[in-house]
Amino acid sequence: MKLARDTALLCRRSTLENLRNPVWLFVGFSTPLLYLALFTPLLKNIPYVGGTDVLDHFLPAILALLAWGSGTAMGFGTIFELQAGVVERFRVTPTSRLALLLGPLVSGLGWMFLFDLLLIGVGAAFGFHVHVAGLLVLGVLLGLFMLSMAGFSVAMALLTKEISSFAAVINGLNLPVLLLAGVLLPISIGPDWMKVLAHFNPLYYLVTAARSLGVGTFSGGATWQAFAVLVPLAAITLTWATRVYRRAVA
Amino acid sequence: MTDVIDAHDLRKQFASRGGPIEAVRGVSFAVSEGEIFGFLGPNGAGKTTTLRMLTTLLPIDSGSATVAGLDVAREPENVRKRIGYVSQLGGADDLATGRENLQLQGRLYGRENDYVAARVDELLTLLDLSSFADRRVKTYSGGQRRRLDVGLGIVHGPEVLFLDEPTTGLDPQNRANLWEHLRRLRERGTTILLTTHYLEEADALCDRVMIIDHGEIVAEGSPRELKREVVGDSVVLRVAEEGDGHERARALLTTAPFVSSVTQADDDQLRCYVEDGASALPELLRLLDSQRVGLRSISLSEPTLDDVFLAKTGRSLRDGGPAAREEVTA
Repeated sequence: MKLARDTALLCRRSTLENLRNPVWLFVGFSTPLLYLALFTPLLKNIPYVGGTDVLDHFLPAILALLAWGSGTAMGFGTIFELQAGVVERFRVTPTSRLALLLGPLVSGLGWMFLFDLLLIGVGAAFGFHVHVAGLLVLGVLLGLFMLSMAGFSVAMALLTKEISSFAAVINGLNLPVLLLAGVLLPISIGPDWMKVLAHFNPLYYLVTAARSLGVGTFSGGATWQAFAVLVPLAAITLTWATRVYRRAVA
Repeated sequence: MTDVIDAHDLRKQFASRGGPIEAVRGVSFAVSEGEIFGFLGPNGAGKTTTLRMLTTLLPIDSGSATVAGLDVAREPENVRKRIGYVSQLGGADDLATGRENLQLQGRLYGRENDYVAARVDELLTLLDLSSFADRRVKTYSGGQRRRLDVGLGIVHGPEVLFLDEPTTGLDPQNRANLWEHLRRLRERGTTILLTTHYLEEADALCDRVMIIDHGEIVAEGSPRELKREVVGDSVVLRVAEEGDGHERARALLTTAPFVSSVTQADDDQLRCYVEDGASALPELLRLLDSQRVGLRSISLSEPTLDDVFLAKTGRSLRDGGPAAREEVTA
């Protein structure tokens, strides 16, 4: 009860802060939009991935990319609030410690789902076939993955405590994770060693499931494999983040 | 009067590359209800660390503390409900208005909307924030922002308010204005504990002062008591002639019966503590004159808390650190 109330208060605060400084929202939303606008035309003429239904395969992967980006960006806010004394101001109140972590995460999750809907809307206007059931299941996976990455990002922010080391960690992970997930081109057209490496990348499972769910396919194993990877991942990263948070802000 | 804060042998160590650093080494003190109590000391003395232990922000290594009758280590949740804390940074949301900041803070203390709205109006009036309450905080001046920070610390009506360097960075006028607000809070029954490295602040605002240096208590008492303790006034003099005049003057003064101690104040200055400046000055001049020691300047001053600090640590609080070159006690 108290947890829910405090989380709602802090989620509202984060959402208002975002609205009042919308540059980050703009950057967060324009990245997937640019991929859709400037990469989809290239895919059309590539064998195996191209063709008229190219958006059906590409847009779900972009949603996965957005989940990665929204999640890993959460730590930047944490570092800013640590340095501005905001975290400390909240810590001396009897606010639930878990709510201090969850408030911004829930807000970030909300923004991500809003952008997902906007991207699907834009995509639909350009020929994306909307499969509601598949997209709903995909939504669950996207949420799990975003929260996992947000937990990881916030914990890293609390451990590094300053922007340059934190940014080095996140940016260092960004490119290998994206390239080995098959966001832009499916890993299935790559060599075997890449396929093996990709299986160590959680984003790969999300992207593979997204491509399959995006066209309304539940069979084939991609979806349950993604759940099998992402549920424990979320449990591990969020438990870890909570522990780091409790230790850092006891 | 009851003790609202009671600290016993508080200790805190931090790990660092060069081995552990003892930030606080056995600090004990008590603060009575309705007092303004100040920690005075140079940067790095352990003031903030002590404050953070008392406000549940930092685990206590050893020792114990009660605040508002509650053990800080055992009941941090309940302590948080009864204290307010204003950090050096403040931490108000720049993009929100002053009123919004106060309202959120009040709600985080578990109070309902109606209560919070009424309380926020009261605070805005109390702290002279009403006319810009609905402007974003980033437009506030330093003094306005600091008053808002205090408001955030007292929105729930705490029994004890902790303030870390509340007036650092404020100009003298805003500083005096904040003091006035803090005195008003004390009149309403709030006990206040603050840290400061400003002598004037400790002297003008605090009922009692604890001087802290290298994590240890150096002296404690009311500003008046502390100043009386360093016995009397100080005379600062500069010897005119070159050569051994300076050395001879120090030797003379060190053995003079009416001088309690002599320290090297600056490169060419000597500072002597005397019991009563008005009667000691003529004697001092006669003594130096009889030995033909000429003076470039001489001044008499009543003791300040800096003299207390200097007498206890051999260093001046004003220059914040380097040890005085020499100290000779009669």
